[in-house]
Amino acid sequence: MPARPSLWTTLTAPLLRENPVTLQILGICSALAVTTSLATALTMAASLTVVLTLAAGLISVIRHHIPDTIRLIVQIVIIASLVIVIDQVLQAWFFEISQALSVFVGLITTNCLVLGRTEAYARHNPPLPSMVDALGNALGYSLILVIIGALRELFGKGELMGLAVLPLADQGGWFTPLSLMLLAPSAFFLLGGLVWAIRTLRPEQAETPEHAPMGRGEPAE
Amino acid sequence: MIRGLWDRETVALLLLAALMPVALMWLWFGGIDAVARLALALVVSGAWHGVFMLARAQPPSLAGALAALAVAMLAPEDLGLFRLVLGISFGAVFGELVFGGWGRNVVNPATVTLAFLGFGFPAFPWPEFVAPVAWAAIPAAALGIALGVMPFGVVAGATAVAGLALAAGADLGPVLPVAGLVLVLLVCDPVASAATPLGRWLNGALYAALVLVFAAGWAGAAPVQVCVAAALLASLAAPLLDEAAIALWLQQRRRRHGRP
Repeated sequence: MPARPSLWTTLTAPLLRENPVTLQILGICSALAVTTSLATALTMAASLTVVLTLAAGLISVIRHHIPDTIRLIVQIVIIASLVIVIDQVLQAWFFEISQALSVFVGLITTNCLVLGRTEAYARHNPPLPSMVDALGNALGYSLILVIIGALRELFGKGELMGLAVLPLADQGGWFTPLSLMLLAPSAFFLLGGLVWAIRTLRPEQAETPEHAPMGRGEPAE
Repeated sequence: MIRGLWDRETVALLLLAALMPVALMWLWFGGIDAVARLALALVVSGAWHGVFMLARAQPPSLAGALAALAVAMLAPEDLGLFRLVLGISFGAVFGELVFGGWGRNVVNPATVTLAFLGFGFPAFPWPEFVAPVAWAAIPAAALGIALGVMPFGVVAGATAVAGLALAAGADLGPVLPVAGLVLVLLVCDPVASAATPLGRWLNGALYAALVLVFAAGWAGAAPVQVCVAAALLASLAAPLLDEAAIALWLQQRRRRHGRP
């Protein structure tokens, strides 16, 4: 078994090099749904970070006692309990944002990112590395959510966190909001562009092409 | 076809030639305004083709001019320079160039641009066309089919459904001429439309049926908006229609010849 990478590497690798959203394309559903404004994106990111880190720690602690045959059920029960706690906390102290997030906090339970980390990492590693790995992945997810949420709110409404940044044309400024940014397709476009940009900077992330283009016998480009 | 006269640029040139009746008629009636829009669309589209040639060694294509013509004719009016440039850039890059250039794209870049502009800036008025421009769609379609660059099945399928609907007493009103223009400019793109004979008929029929449904049920939509939405959905469905046509053909073969 190769030596375990240092905690610092475990924490920082998922930020860009192995980002769960842009490399493994996990957690897309919520990334599209909650990024219409920066505030909801931040809340969602914080919720997922807490849930994922705690779930990874808990599962890692009892990893020798989970029977393999029912491991998914056990993991989901743990994750779901944590999600319910977070959901109640949000409803108690951040009611408006909780309304804006609607079902998506509850759906953290089924977020493939969470189950992916607990299943792939926390089940085989001691608590501390598991929690660091979970934190790193959650921060990678948060990074993407915050970038997309900020872009969508900035260009869709001219605001950031509800504060006007770009002066709107109908209030005497120069900026006309792109209402498309507030619709779901724009999140697809932004995410696609982001994946494209990252894979241009780090070509090792690009997948190998499935088909070779037909040409005039020249080597494929 | 690997060698000989027919390569991608021949098809693009012949398509441009086929669209000349529409383009010239529109320029004649549109005047300097139309020329300026077309020039802007050509410059932006050409610039992106140039960028991708330099960055990815993708050969630029005259098809960029086709998309530019369709966008210049059909895009909403009074958008202003910035929004028009943004829309054309989005369509050219995300609709066509990122897939590897003309011939590998899934939807027509002009359709992407128009849908983007239509949904992104719903407040701007869509253009209207004088009758001669709309009539010019007929010689354009005839030229395109005769030159072999526009799919006959698509035109025939659309005409058949529209004819049936008109015979049944449907009143398309101002949508009908625009639907013809959009058919020639967007739907008959040989890349984005279906590729099998049956699929092409279905593709054209689907486009006409969608136009009919939208014209009847979409309150407050401009004719161009109706037709662009129908073109977008029809070209998105084209691979599915091809798949269905191929599956039918395979089934027929199996029935006639036993196990393949």
